[in-house]
Amino acid sequence: MAQDANSAPAKLSVSGLSKHFGDLEVLRSIAIDVDRGEFISIVGPSGCGKTTFLRIIGGLERADAGEARLDGRRITGPGKDRGFVFQQDNLLPWRNVLANTEIGPEISGERSAAHRARMIGLLKLVGLGGFEHYYPRQLSGGMRQRVNLARALAIDPDLLLMDEPFSALDAQTREIMQTELMRIWEEGRKTVLFVTHQIDEAVYLSDRVLVFARRPGRIQEIIDIELPRPRPLSIKRTPQFVAYVDRIWKMIEDDVRASVLEEHG
Amino acid sequence: MSVETQALSLNRPKVAVPAAQRIAKPSLWDRHGWGLLSVVCGLSIWEIISRFVVGNKLFLASPSQVAVAMVELANSGELWKHFSISGLEFLIGYVSACILGIALGLLMASSKVAKQMLQPWVSGLYATPTVALAPLFILWFGIGIFSKVVVVALLVIFPVVINTEAGIRTTSQHLIETVRSFGANSRQIFLKVTLPSALPFIFAGLKLGIGRGLIGVVVAELFGARAGLGQLISQSAETFNMPALFAGVTLLAVAGIALTSGFGWLERRLLPWRD
Repeated sequence: MAQDANSAPAKLSVSGLSKHFGDLEVLRSIAIDVDRGEFISIVGPSGCGKTTFLRIIGGLERADAGEARLDGRRITGPGKDRGFVFQQDNLLPWRNVLANTEIGPEISGERSAAHRARMIGLLKLVGLGGFEHYYPRQLSGGMRQRVNLARALAIDPDLLLMDEPFSALDAQTREIMQTELMRIWEEGRKTVLFVTHQIDEAVYLSDRVLVFARRPGRIQEIIDIELPRPRPLSIKRTPQFVAYVDRIWKMIEDDVRASVLEEHG
Repeated sequence: MSVETQALSLNRPKVAVPAAQRIAKPSLWDRHGWGLLSVVCGLSIWEIISRFVVGNKLFLASPSQVAVAMVELANSGELWKHFSISGLEFLIGYVSACILGIALGLLMASSKVAKQMLQPWVSGLYATPTVALAPLFILWFGIGIFSKVVVVALLVIFPVVINTEAGIRTTSQHLIETVRSFGANSRQIFLKVTLPSALPFIFAGLKLGIGRGLIGVVVAELFGARAGLGQLISQSAETFNMPALFAGVTLLAVAGIALTSGFGWLERRLLPWRD
């Protein structure tokens, strides 16, 4: 494994990961080591393969070449060591909040009374205490995303994979969800890979931001975000924060313009 | 303040329920009052026209005459005999068609070959007015119960097959993938996602089958039977006994309404997450 001899072994180690969809080269030799408890965001223009990358790590897609190892074990398919938070909340409409949250443990056959108590605690953690018996159709978009997050946390994953989870929410709800996610993350310090379109969201949440470029999708730059934690929302107005956002925007600006032209041309 | 922030700051479920969902249950009058009034008015108009305008029960029996005929038929045991025979024919035909229909629908949804092989037959026979073949089935299977069971089953099975297949096929791929991301095997995906997601469709197919099945019973009996409501109706028509004819029709209508609303009740119990 390619990493410094003096550091602890990486939680997630990705090397030479490549992927084609037909003739289209979606990902070209992605390599990154992620430490335990690190919060990593992935930004980039549409079509840079960031979601495909996340799906490969989640085991929902197979790479053509290269590999990803979680705690040294090679990822070959979905597993309960990874919790996936999808862009659409994808809640099962016939299950109430509690039953939706429990689906992961249920699938791996780990339901018990102690588990039930943990689920209820988890729903409290994401701010849904008292909503256990509501059906998804009775909840707002933000609340549904909280269930989506609780469902992924319910399997107590080593790695949390989040695919633009707040993109369908309005601006205010999104900001609140960002602070909520930070609060939840501070409590458990899960290792997180977070895909987003919003540069400020990536800077606000992350220890490091992976900037992807397109055609082919590859890591253009890795930026350490050296902002103190915990971060209040007001940090978004500090010069330091704005400088990070500007810097990342400049990196992807040309690519974004190209992708926008392509989509509308 | 949005629902979202209220939930955050207060954590009180009562506060966060959208106003539209807190509306009190409508009273009995709100739900059934106007419907009841409309039925009573309709029956009154029917009574008046048949008594004072037509004035001849050979042409039109009034509701009161129908009621009298029904009581007489019931007292003589005739009504129960016809009703139980028709009920049995319907029940056997309907239940077997539902079981077979759901099985075929599942098969078509899960296998491309099965779908391609069965689709032309299903589409063709669904569009065919199968009741027109009832005389043929009576010729083949006799005037007993079995020929009616076959007609009922043939009418019921196709909406069940089509709806089951459509329900399974329209299952959201996003939901399937979500459950797959937790490591679900194909059996778990079927039981936890595909089947529950198809249930409303399957129910709709079973409901469609009720009306078609009742038509099947009556029409098959019209073409030749020893007993049954259809036979009661055709016999009454031949002897110009309009009150008895209407008694048979009324009983069929009541059975249809009862079965459909029973299904509605079952649906609300089994699928409480809907609407």
